Amino acid sequence: MPIHDPGYRTWQGPVAPLATRWMVIAEVGIRRAWLSSWLRRMMFFAWLPACVMGFMVLLYEQTSANDPSAGRTMLGLSRMLIDPRSAASSSFTDVQTALERRDQSPESERHLFWSALLTTLFRRSQPFILIPMLGIIVPPLISQDFRSRAFLLYFSRPITRLHYILGKAACVMFFLASVTLAPALLLFAAAVLLSPSLSVLASTWDLSLRIVAASLTIMIPCTCLSLMLSSLASESRYASFAWFAIWIFGELAWTTASRSAAVGSNVVISCLSLFRVFSDVTAWILDPRLVMDDIQTRLVLLAALSAVSLAVLFRRVSAPMQI
Amino acid sequence: MSPLIELVGITKDYGAFRALSDVHLQILPGCTGLLGPNGAGKSTLIKVLLGLVHCTAGHGHVLGIPLGTHATAIRSQVGYMPEDDCYIHGLSGIETMQLAARLTGMQSTEAIRRSHEILDFCGAGQERYRSVETYSTGMRQKLRFAMAIVHDPALLILDEPTSGLDPEERVAMLNRIRILTRDFGKTVLLCTHILPDVQSVCSRVVILAAGQVRISDSLEQLSRLPSPALFVHFAGSAERFHAALRQYNLASHISGPQQMQIAGTAEDHSNLIWQAAAVSDCTIRGLVPSRNSLEQIFLDAVGQVQHAHS
Repeated sequence: MPIHDPGYRTWQGPVAPLATRWMVIAEVGIRRAWLSSWLRRMMFFAWLPACVMGFMVLLYEQTSANDPSAGRTMLGLSRMLIDPRSAASSSFTDVQTALERRDQSPESERHLFWSALLTTLFRRSQPFILIPMLGIIVPPLISQDFRSRAFLLYFSRPITRLHYILGKAACVMFFLASVTLAPALLLFAAAVLLSPSLSVLASTWDLSLRIVAASLTIMIPCTCLSLMLSSLASESRYASFAWFAIWIFGELAWTTASRSAAVGSNVVISCLSLFRVFSDVTAWILDPRLVMDDIQTRLVLLAALSAVSLAVLFRRVSAPMQI
Repeated sequence: MSPLIELVGITKDYGAFRALSDVHLQILPGCTGLLGPNGAGKSTLIKVLLGLVHCTAGHGHVLGIPLGTHATAIRSQVGYMPEDDCYIHGLSGIETMQLAARLTGMQSTEAIRRSHEILDFCGAGQERYRSVETYSTGMRQKLRFAMAIVHDPALLILDEPTSGLDPEERVAMLNRIRILTRDFGKTVLLCTHILPDVQSVCSRVVILAAGQVRISDSLEQLSRLPSPALFVHFAGSAERFHAALRQYNLASHISGPQQMQIAGTAEDHSNLIWQAAAVSDCTIRGLVPSRNSLEQIFLDAVGQVQHAHS
């Protein structure tokens, strides 16, 4: 029994604009997901590679200031971090050639080094965090709403399907951004601060935009695909299974096909694995010196994947109302 | 009184199945009971009112807002309590309430203040801090009701608000509905299968069957019999009383144990009834105008449809 019970009282007060309601859904989704201890652990490990690379930047700046050849060694090392056996490996020859010419200015060397680190971050470390992370947080986002009929709670309020999907997508994108965009941008900012002067921004500013573009290239299709899978099942474990299956079987198909494929079918084969597609596209965005074969095909594939996922998602979200 | 809900020729098809067929309906301020057998189209009608599904034909307005194009504007002024359990995993009662309030546009702090206020009104105690998954049926029912009224809507659509409640909680829930209607001028559309609930709080009733409105009138008007009659509750021999009434030329029939229905009005026949009771050595315990029961009205309305279909 409350200490002071005034009974029912009418209410009048300021009402937030309709366009901001998705933020409430996103906020609740983020708070609920953050309760998972697995997610918190993953988030910790997601930032370790960026910290290590920050230390590499520090070493590079210290060594290259005193000894340019040491700086070049570090630059070579950084290029080796990018998988030379990947489908795109042939394209790295351009960069290797440029390195061998030894006529790089300090600015272009720095640009090369930073972009190599960022490419490594996006290709080699973050995918291994974001795939399991999304596998944990996204499947229950919509499927649990179906199971507990929470859509009645949402859609009996002034909320449209667009607000609902936007809210759920914002929740997923928040976590994706915190393992891709945020560490990469902070690494870039740390690199600028560790460099001899802020004038390096003049030659490296494009990297910040490339980071945003590369992050969005990962975030948008991943968000659409994972939410679509979540909307297809009322049991979140099925959505989770489908999510992991897409990555694992895609990679297995790529490995099998690439061993027995004829020369020249690299693009088709790499499209079998989403992991490879993301890897190639982000590498192409982050390092302008990489020449990728037929990058348009991969971009079209990602755009089509996002569009189809969104269409299915909209249809699925409105389905319970038709019953 | 101008109607708060007005539907004209509303038809809703789900593929080949017609859920609502040419529904014409006016809901006036006050409490209206929406009755109908399973599959009558009640849920579809509610979805149409909330703008959750688009009607195939017809038009109408809710609270002066046209149906179809302004669904969010309608839903911001309507509180809907669904029959089905609906909650968000992992949230406590107060968090669920706060979410419901914020989804209608309340600021975060105001939403939590208002949530506590409404949960107090609904009789929820410290269990509001527990996860909703651990709630009993009655507590979930209270929470759904609280979520429906948290933003102080002008129109309340309550779907089975008393199902699964114990008798004490049922009375409390009906009292809350009565308070909202009587003291705060809310219009309530009460969708239920429990007819005594409708009789208890509603002034008007709408009976839907096979997607059509069969009856839409005030309860007072509906419960009047085609020809006046009196209902007598008595103690004594029914046969002797029945014979005595016949002697006074009063048409009567035994309607139950110690119950008699007599044709005519109290003004004309009460003296004769008292005399017949004295002659037959019976004691009259109650003498009231006889009325149609809601159950009878409902069965008649639904029976007409079933008869037409057969």
